[in-house]
Amino acid sequence: MAINDSDGSAVEVSGISKQYAGKQGVVQALADVSFRVDPGEFVCIVGPSGCGKTTLFRILGGLEPATRGEVTLDGSPVTAPTPNMGIVFQEYHLFPWRTVRGNIAFGIDNAAVDGINQDERVQHLIDLVGLAGFGDSYPKSLSGGMKQRVALARALAIDPALLLMDEPFAAVDAQTRERLQDELLDIWQETGKTILFVTHDVEEAIRLADTVVVMGKEPGQIRDTVPIELDHPRSRADAAFGSYYERVRSLIDG
Amino acid sequence: MATDVQSDHAVTTTDGELPLVGIDRRRAGLGAVGFLGFLGLWWVAALLQPPYVLPAPPVVAEAAFAELASGEITTALGESVRHWVPGTIIGTTLGVAAGVAFGWSTVLDDLSSPVVRTLRPVPPLALIGFAIAWFGINHAGAAFIIAVGAFWINFYASYGGVEGVSDDLLDVARSLGVDGDLELIKSVVIPAASPEIMTGIRTGIGRCWMLVVAAEIFGVPGIGRRILRASNNLQVDLVITYILVLSVMFLLVDMAYRAVQRRVLVWR
Repeated sequence: MAINDSDGSAVEVSGISKQYAGKQGVVQALADVSFRVDPGEFVCIVGPSGCGKTTLFRILGGLEPATRGEVTLDGSPVTAPTPNMGIVFQEYHLFPWRTVRGNIAFGIDNAAVDGINQDERVQHLIDLVGLAGFGDSYPKSLSGGMKQRVALARALAIDPALLLMDEPFAAVDAQTRERLQDELLDIWQETGKTILFVTHDVEEAIRLADTVVVMGKEPGQIRDTVPIELDHPRSRADAAFGSYYERVRSLIDG
Repeated sequence: MATDVQSDHAVTTTDGELPLVGIDRRRAGLGAVGFLGFLGLWWVAALLQPPYVLPAPPVVAEAAFAELASGEITTALGESVRHWVPGTIIGTTLGVAAGVAFGWSTVLDDLSSPVVRTLRPVPPLALIGFAIAWFGINHAGAAFIIAVGAFWINFYASYGGVEGVSDDLLDVARSLGVDGDLELIKSVVIPAASPEIMTGIRTGIGRCWMLVVAAEIFGVPGIGRRILRASNNLQVDLVITYILVLSVMFLLVDMAYRAVQRRVLVWR
């Protein structure tokens, strides 16, 4: 049974700005952010804390409006959360009253994805994210890494063309993070989905991405986009990895 | 992929909850000591007072057995249940429904806020006139008083629960294709608020047993009526007997409810 029923989407981010009314006047959180993501591309948005990447994530997901500019997904403007885009949050946000199986099935239950055997699909996803045997556990009994696997499977369940992820592995320990990164790469390669991945971790961005969008702060803006031309699996020990790292670091530090 | 989740999982088996059957011995022991102590104090106090002020425990026990044997307790209880049950069910249902609706919809909330704030402080007892005028001196009238009490407790518990539902969960649900108020309420809001709603229901059930006495003030038969009549006749042993009946009923219903609650909220 295929999980990659739909191919990846193209994303076009044009001239996004965001201003808040803060205590000391207007705060410019994002200034004229533009970039594009090709179908099936893995793009990491990396930047220091306070550069507005979480704001950008929320605008990309249709969770909050931009002051100016537009995000389009395969040509249609994103103004609200849509099932074409699976969202994975840093804090998991699982439904605590549902079991692992129930969480993964949530979107299928509600959106009634046609023509597939639901139980089989859910079981396949449980296996895909390595949670075999935990289908009937409630989130309270899972570790952070396991919760994030559930969140990922839940987002994949409705077969979105794009996965939008906000620092999904920031809250787990280093070992688990690396394993989750590898698993995400496997899933990406298997499904061909477009992935937009927000992180503050430069190393993580270089390990994962086809293209790294580097942001700077005050105001949040794009410093440069860096294509990473390395084969997977990528090793930190690699000299090329190191020079990409230096380059992105220096872009961030401005 | 992902064959080794071993180091990554931490399934907790100790969830701190007491099992349904085996009760903590230390707690039960201390509880028994406390209860016997209370009984002892009562007894000592009773020895220092004439029986019409405070009868001793054996006197009350005697009265209780007499009432039980004559069938008075069962009759009174049967009468009270006939308005306690409908009053509690109707008040709880309406209270939860209104609390969820007004907690969810800012329009409804803004519309109703002045009315809610005006009606909220009215004690159910103050509505006895309406109970008589609208329903008469009967079970329906008493059920009305009880329902008003249950309504507000459940209204505020549910309202608070719904207000506390995380926007992030709603965002997740929307991104998973759940659209529309009713769908979101059904699949996210009510389950997420269920701990608060269930606590409200429990508080309401207890409060309704207290309101049984108030609701019977105007002449509807039942436990409360028996207490009031015994009070008028200075039959303190009977007053205590029927208070104990209320306590036991409350305890039984509360225990049953908690068992249900633990089951429903097993995910917590």
